[in-house]
Amino acid sequence: MSERRVDRATLLEIGLRSNLLQAAWNFERQQGLGWAFALAPALRALYPDRETRLDRLAEHTAYFNTQPTLASIALGAAVRVEEDRAAGVGGDAASMARLKSALGSTLAALGDRLFWFSLRPFAAAVGVLLGMVHPSHGWGALSLWLVYAVPHLVLRFGGVGWGYAAGPAVLSGAFRERLEAAVRWLALLGCVVLGVALAWALAPGGEPRPIAVQCALAVGLGAGLLTAQRARPSPTRWALAFGFLGLILAWRFHG
Amino acid sequence: MLGTLVVGGLAALDATPVAQTLASQPLVTATVLGAFWGDWSTALGVGTVLQILAASTLPIGARTPEDYSVGGVVGAGVALSIASAAPFEHVRQAASLVGVMTGMVAATVGVPLLRWQRRQNEGLARWCEAELRSGHERALAEAQWAGVALAFAVGLAATALWMAVAHWGSGLVERESLRLAGVWHLLQPLWLGFGFAQLLHAFVQRRLERAGVFAAALVGAWLVIVAGAP
Repeated sequence: MSERRVDRATLLEIGLRSNLLQAAWNFERQQGLGWAFALAPALRALYPDRETRLDRLAEHTAYFNTQPTLASIALGAAVRVEEDRAAGVGGDAASMARLKSALGSTLAALGDRLFWFSLRPFAAAVGVLLGMVHPSHGWGALSLWLVYAVPHLVLRFGGVGWGYAAGPAVLSGAFRERLEAAVRWLALLGCVVLGVALAWALAPGGEPRPIAVQCALAVGLGAGLLTAQRARPSPTRWALAFGFLGLILAWRFHG
Repeated sequence: MLGTLVVGGLAALDATPVAQTLASQPLVTATVLGAFWGDWSTALGVGTVLQILAASTLPIGARTPEDYSVGGVVGAGVALSIASAAPFEHVRQAASLVGVMTGMVAATVGVPLLRWQRRQNEGLARWCEAELRSGHERALAEAQWAGVALAFAVGLAATALWMAVAHWGSGLVERESLRLAGVWHLLQPLWLGFGFAQLLHAFVQRRLERAGVFAAALVGAWLVIVAGAP
């Protein structure tokens, strides 16, 4: 095990740069360029020799992809491996590629469930509920942003340090279990928020909406539950189809 | 108007290239635009519907999802621009309908535009690796900032284009505002219900206890809201 050579300021800079992980996202290397850009401060600290550093940087521009928030954890673990590699006590290009591949896919599986399938819909549900309850204020937008951005930024900045401290073993044990528990709780809380939002949509402020509006809400709910069983067409295409159908019917039957 | 275009560019940045904090979500951008234009009601009416639809649009893996960052700005911007010309309730509702529809179309049409942008980034990545190997260390930062600049420009240009189209069609919306307002009364709750169902499906995932929690929350909240009303 080598001596630790990457300081907290460098880890913080990596956390900051990870905000640009997807700046040049592309189909070929996906987050590869952003990954190399985020790691650059650590490589600068570890490889004083310019030629070796440039070689490592170019190597890191290869394909990488994971859920962008949790990428910080992989970045921290990669810094740790790169540190050992620079000290000559282990690791080579092939083992770094294996680490990136293993952490990338595991973090994507965890992160997609936590952020895309749970936290993002949950934040949207909270925002929409507060937006309906306070239609003349910005509480809905503020709550949506805070509910998502606070955990996102905490994990983005903290993740580099956690990944660095634990190294490639960062995803074993308690950390993974905590993320899994967060997914379960968010799903349950999301059900509660949606229940309250639907109740408010039916009777905002305690006054039930006209029966035609309640029927439209029920039709939308039924159509949504039916169409959600299949990924295609996308919800947006269905919603557009309802919109155009509504316009056609209005022109046909309304004067 | 200039503020709306800048918000379009900034939203395109937050969506993928920079930070991804959800500041680009339709409810957030609509709220910002509502403050700019001084019309919260229209902005939030459009933002809420687009938000509930955007919530089930996910950027998983290499999939290019509908571009609700620009779609949200376009939707709210178009509605606010039309509503500001004739501040009557039925025109506002007609503008909201047209805003939501334009926002959804802009989000859908934005997919090929995003793909084009990502293909440009492929060239940028290849150039960057070649430059690094030839000793140009700054190439990495230059490539990154070029990606950011491209995303901002595409977001701003797309917003400008859709706002121009809306400006061109605003006369028709004003003329047909009564009919469009009637459609909005039914389509708004239908879209909300549709979006709620998509989210519910994502949360429940065929688990009976979660469906039970949702039903209990719905009935309980309805009783509290109705019984608690003055």
